[in-house]
Amino acid sequence: MSSYVYMKLLESTPERYDRGMRILSGNTIDGLWEELAKRIAGPGIRVLDIGCGTGGVTLACARRGARVTGLDKDAGMLAVARAKAQAEGLTATWVEAGVMELEDEVAPSSFDAVVSSLAMSELLPEERAYALRQAREALVPGGRLLLADEAAPITPLGRLGWRLRRAPRAALTWILTGQRTHPMDGLAEEVRAAGFVDVEEERAPAGDFILVSARRGRDT
Amino acid sequence: MTLPGRFLAWLRDTLLRMFPHATRPGLRAIGRPGPNAPVLLSGNFTLTVDRLTRVLRGRDAWLLVADSHGINVWCAAGGGHLTHHDVIAVLRSSGIGERVEHRHLWLPQLAATGVERRIVQERTGWRVGWGPARLEDLPAFLDRGQRVKHSERLMRFPLWERMEMALLWAPATTAIAAVVLWSLLGATTAFIGAGSIAVVIFAIFAALPRLPLWGGSRWFTYAGGAVVASLLAITADMALHGPNLLHIGVLGAASTIAMLVLSLDLAGTTPLYPSTINTRGNRFDLVLNAERCTGVADCVQVCPRDVLAMDGKLRRVRIQRPDACIRCGACVVQCPEDALFFRFADGRTLSPTQIRATRMNMLGRRAVVLPAKTLSTEDQAAAEAPRRD
Ligand code: SF4
Repeated sequence: MSSYVYMKLLESTPERYDRGMRILSGNTIDGLWEELAKRIAGPGIRVLDIGCGTGGVTLACARRGARVTGLDKDAGMLAVARAKAQAEGLTATWVEAGVMELEDEVAPSSFDAVVSSLAMSELLPEERAYALRQAREALVPGGRLLLADEAAPITPLGRLGWRLRRAPRAALTWILTGQRTHPMDGLAEEVRAAGFVDVEEERAPAGDFILVSARRGRDT
Repeated sequence: MTLPGRFLAWLRDTLLRMFPHATRPGLRAIGRPGPNAPVLLSGNFTLTVDRLTRVLRGRDAWLLVADSHGINVWCAAGGGHLTHHDVIAVLRSSGIGERVEHRHLWLPQLAATGVERRIVQERTGWRVGWGPARLEDLPAFLDRGQRVKHSERLMRFPLWERMEMALLWAPATTAIAAVVLWSLLGATTAFIGAGSIAVVIFAIFAALPRLPLWGGSRWFTYAGGAVVASLLAITADMALHGPNLLHIGVLGAASTIAMLVLSLDLAGTTPLYPSTINTRGNRFDLVLNAERCTGVADCVQVCPRDVLAMDGKLRRVRIQRPDACIRCGACVVQCPEDALFFRFADGRTLSPTQIRATRMNMLGRRAVVLPAKTLSTEDQAAAEAPRRD
């Protein structure tokens, strides 16, 4: 009962999440999804989207002809994703499962690419380690991993400015979407530790977005 | 802890406790648990975890703290923030499987609206049981050899808890009245007006559950509250300032408005009544599709209001106290046969499928927009059909 007010005012309606994300990112989120899809998706490519939410990246990949699977633990978000796919006439497989259930839902070597956007930062370190190991399992040898997440800038001054800039936004994220974000540092390291090769890290011009791409080695 | 730190913690746990506050999810040892110690689970609302740790002092147990976004178990489960996915996640990521020799997990009963026990069992091999509804009953439950008494399945609303709730409502409701009264009639009258409203709020909570808060008769409670608050305030004000029509009118209006604010959903903040705003005036009731019922009776176990009972002769469940139902949805979610569902007054059906997808998250537009787009009318029809395919 005690979180009653919070529950009533900030209930996480998936639609609000979608709208909230757009407002927060000043509409750049659609651009980010496109960017991710461009890098991994193509006709017939099997793509797994971990933590797909309302299907932003998943559907961007589907539009490019990929055979997509979106996995998320939130049934409400998936319902919206499904409706969006239907409205556009896109086919996708939606799986209601948490990241820690990847082993139950995903067969080994069954995907050409794994993508995950703004989901890795929601996980505990031990969950992330598990998710990355499972992602590697899910990929065919040579298959691609692509992660997008928030990250802090590298220089101390940049960091300070970023903290200040971020404070109101973090509050806003929470109010608009009911979610907290924990920006990621060292994601590339974690990806390497999970056994991926060709790990590359890129930063978006603003410096607080990080893209990590990697491959499952062929030597397994 | 430093003094300011303590003060902040106190504030967090009292006046600000309607806001979520998260503690780190994962495994905690209570006492010195061994490989046979019981495994209990809770959400990661800081206040709950602190209280659990205090209540269980002197006993040995493993506590799994699942990520419920810092929200208490009941609200989190009802809002879709604590589901079987979160339970599976903490079971696997915590490494509890390597610490204990058994595979028996106790969930708080109030998690039943969100956590589908069977899915956890299928995926993890852990046997999942429903522990007591309230954490203060945990020590007795453990001492009894992990058995839950029927009385521990039911929600209580003891005086101290009612006062806590009054303490949540009173400042919010009186603050606005105080500011308005102050600007219009000065400090003493503002104090008198706000004070009277606060007194009535505490009185209403003290009198629960003897006052009606649900259905049309709830207006007697709020109207009565407005009259009492006005009389209190006006009498006190007259004693100080003499009779003054303006004062009488404004104090009466302030009391009435305060009671209207309470009427928004006082009921929903208690564990004894259904929420009144969730329904948006479209009342819904629990329906049992008796032909589907196979007498598994999971619903009887999770109901915090003693609404459902097993009919031994018919080997079937029966709705024995329909008026006590608070529409928490726990029974609907847990029924393996989909034999329970809700029906709105206008005839629409809220099916188990729909509740499992969106929980009791109704203010969140589900009832308005989502069904048409995402859940077919077949789903509604299926809920009413005698058998599932
Ligand atoms: S009968 Fe009513 S109060 Fe009991 S579990 Fe079902 S919905 Fe909740």
